[in-house]
Amino acid sequence: MTTAVKDNDTSLMERVNHLTRQARLAAAVFSQYSQEDVDRIVKAMTAAAIENVEKLARAACDETRMGLFEDKMLKNFVASEFHYHQIKDKKTVGIIREFPEDNMVEIAEPVGVILALSPVTNPTSTVIFKSLAAAKTRNSIIFSPHLMAADASNLAARVVYEAAIEAGAPKGFIGWVEKSSRLRRETELMMVHPEVDLIFATGGTQMVKAACSSGKPVLGVGSGNTPVYVHKSTNVRQAAMDIIISKTFDNGTECPSEQTLVVDREIADSLIQQFKDYGCHDCSDEEVVKVAETIIDARTGGMNYRMVGQPANFIAEKAGITVAPETKILLCQMKGDLRQHKLAVEKLMPVLSYVVVDSVEDGLNRALDVNYAGGTGHTAGIFSEDEDVIEQFGTFINAGRIIVNSPTSIGGLGGIYNNLNTTLSFGCGTGGGNITTDNVGIKNLLNYKRVPRRKHFTLSFQTTKNIYINPGSIDHLRTIKTKRAFVVTSRSAARRGHLSMVLERLPQDCRVDVFSEVGAEPEWSTIEQALQVMSQSQPDTVIALGGGSVLDAAKVMRLFHDYPDLKLKEIAFNFLDFRHRMAEFPKGVKTQLVAIPTTSGTGSEVTPFAVLKDTKSQRKLSLIDETLLPTVAIIDANLTKSLPRDITSDTAFDALTHALEALVSTVASDYTDGLAFESMRLIFEALPEVLKNPTNVVWRHKLHNASCLAGMAIGNASVGVNHALAHSLGGHFDVPHGRANGVFLISTLQYNASIPHKFMVQSCYPLWVADEKYARAAQFLGLDEDGNLAGKGKGEKPNASNIKQLNLALRRAIYDLSIQCGQPMSIAELGISQENFAAAMPDLVRGAFEDMAVRTNPAVPLFEDLKDLFINAYAPRQRP
Amino acid sequence: MTEKKKKESGAAVKEQMSFRLPGPLVKGLDDVDKLMASISGDLQLDFSDCTFISVEGLEWLEEMLLRAQSKGVSVSFSNVTPSVYKVFKVAHIDSVMGACGLPISGPVC
Repeated sequence: MTTAVKDNDTSLMERVNHLTRQARLAAAVFSQYSQEDVDRIVKAMTAAAIENVEKLARAACDETRMGLFEDKMLKNFVASEFHYHQIKDKKTVGIIREFPEDNMVEIAEPVGVILALSPVTNPTSTVIFKSLAAAKTRNSIIFSPHLMAADASNLAARVVYEAAIEAGAPKGFIGWVEKSSRLRRETELMMVHPEVDLIFATGGTQMVKAACSSGKPVLGVGSGNTPVYVHKSTNVRQAAMDIIISKTFDNGTECPSEQTLVVDREIADSLIQQFKDYGCHDCSDEEVVKVAETIIDARTGGMNYRMVGQPANFIAEKAGITVAPETKILLCQMKGDLRQHKLAVEKLMPVLSYVVVDSVEDGLNRALDVNYAGGTGHTAGIFSEDEDVIEQFGTFINAGRIIVNSPTSIGGLGGIYNNLNTTLSFGCGTGGGNITTDNVGIKNLLNYKRVPRRKHFTLSFQTTKNIYINPGSIDHLRTIKTKRAFVVTSRSAARRGHLSMVLERLPQDCRVDVFSEVGAEPEWSTIEQALQVMSQSQPDTVIALGGGSVLDAAKVMRLFHDYPDLKLKEIAFNFLDFRHRMAEFPKGVKTQLVAIPTTSGTGSEVTPFAVLKDTKSQRKLSLIDETLLPTVAIIDANLTKSLPRDITSDTAFDALTHALEALVSTVASDYTDGLAFESMRLIFEALPEVLKNPTNVVWRHKLHNASCLAGMAIGNASVGVNHALAHSLGGHFDVPHGRANGVFLISTLQYNASIPHKFMVQSCYPLWVADEKYARAAQFLGLDEDGNLAGKGKGEKPNASNIKQLNLALRRAIYDLSIQCGQPMSIAELGISQENFAAAMPDLVRGAFEDMAVRTNPAVPLFEDLKDLFINAYAPRQRP
Repeated sequence: MTEKKKKESGAAVKEQMSFRLPGPLVKGLDDVDKLMASISGDLQLDFSDCTFISVEGLEWLEEMLLRAQSKGVSVSFSNVTPSVYKVFKVAHIDSVMGACGLPISGPVC
């Protein structure tokens, strides 16, 4: 036999090295085996085990002098037939599980070389069980048997190993330590041997503790102390029979077997009488003392191992008490404080202690006393027809398996009384110092390699449902269905005559309230004022008339009007990824929102965004959700004709920034690209014309459309670092948003077109293409290489050699447009002194860094990058 | 199956033999053992056709490499398939990994 080493070998260490070496080579070779190979081997091993159940049971009984031969046979059947039935169709090689919804698979990887400790109580069944599990998972296994059961254990190992080799298993994949006086020392050496990958320890507490302190990964399965609550609702006859089956099984050597019964007083007498009728002996108080002295080791407080697995009559005789022949169980009532009682411990023999309780609460507490006296994590049982009591028991008791209305020992094995996994090793979780509460089996003997495929999020495109365009489209208000309208606007809108344009067009019978307190930057306190008015008027329609601030404020007002219990802080969480954000918005809104922009910049009429300032913290809060999308947008350029030159230019540069940032956003799509391109083209064409002739409604119309198209683009693709810089600068120095955007544009275009210092982490952005996209923008605008507008369709198609040139052309074109419009291109031009700028730098950088706009930028702007971008934007610019 | 080459290394001329394993390596190969007995130069084992290796095959490789070392013959493995290379990796045999080109000393992975 190559796998077994005799005691007379040269040295203990050599024996250990030899065994582990054999196992290592076998584990290596096993890695090549297919599922079919493995299944053939496991089948052959199972057949061999079944052929030998009787022989192995006899060997176990003869050697250990514990337990019952017939029950050991049953255990061998469980370990072979039941176990095989459970694992035969399981996948353990290659892809073993697929998660199509998560786009992921699991691939099995053997753990390698397993050192398996087997107990004296189940010496052959445990070996059969673990051998089959090891073969099924393509692991090598070395058995270190209990000294008192080594011959029987090793016989079992030899039986299944020879069958496995016959079926083609790798030589040496099962090994065992031969019985010798140095078996324990050999096991200790094995536990820390570098070639051992996992210790699978089933046995006594000391052995499991030693394994756990080896530094190796351990499946340590130790002792228990099973409480069983017999509730008054149970069927007493069934409970008595099941408990007798369980506690007498192999003379009580199964560690999940009942140790202490907690019995409701209402049924205590009838239950005990039933036990007696079935051949159990209920000990008197005096006999209980004698039994306790006999079966409990006074020195350790644990059970006397000489009594383990012995029949009740034998124990009674040793205790000096007289019982009927063939007594099944010695019942011992524990009186007084259970926690002090000697018998409230594990007793792997047919001695069953019990306590009588007066209520469910009392019952649960006493069960907990037993559970926490060495049995946490292991097994518990309950007999009850009351589902609430069963649930409470399951909630409070700490046990890996809580067996209901069945024998706990055979029930714990799994497969016979329930659908638990068949096992001879009971994981006890952290309560028992273990890593698992599983019925340990093949799933615990594999490494699971998860192979996740890249997530591809579904991008969506959403915008305002009804958009009315063209000059005069404000007339749509005449057809709007509303009985109570709430107009949100600014004071300037009233001055410019826009408010009367709206009011004239609303239906005659419509009650209208006007709120014109929205300032340049909407604050939460303003929203609260408006909500008070709305709570009185109960509008069915909100009409937002004004610039971006008004539109944003109206979006928030409408939302909070529909959902008065909504909390601002619950929807204003910052987030890394929109799809994983914490904020929970309501589903849907009922009040319609009509957005009528009077500037051509923000595009807020078609975005799901709103920015407002929290009055208390003075922080800007960005709200993003489709419930913020207006129901109707009216894009009427007549409302922009009186817009002053500087605001016209500032807001147009805001729109241009939207288009440029949406274009290179990490969540850009073909849908948003098209909008961004056309928006840019319209701005380049219309803005200079509007500035030349501000009342020309045709050019105003083109500019208004450009703003709306860019709004749709950012509404779905978001913005980028330019906005982060502008928000920070604008917030600190009170610079209009569009103007703040304009001063950074040339810098951020150059920054985003350069290979990033740090690429953006974004699953749906597999290729960094910012420079190519800017080049395509230059082509779309029809720019020549100097940045002049050569005409649509005349731009140069981007290729590897001209991308840089096209990027430069785009920056030049933006520079030229800025000059043409008198748009500031540097921070210095905004009147901010160098001294103030330098002093504000730390805050500016931090503000930009924390801005959510950077999340969709094609490059991750590092602190230093942001600082450089600020510094580069300070001095007046030269043409690129 | 075998191929003989002359390998020039400085002033000395070394003989290099190469041998292509005929298939799965489930036991020792007499041809290689004979070659090992007669060779004075280097030996390269080509694993192109070896898609499976048994415990006996591994043990033979280890023993053959030991013999080669004592004879001063340098043995190298080429074209090792991933499934066999994984066996070598799991088997933790230094001499086998050395024949695959891994330095015997120093950090390994």
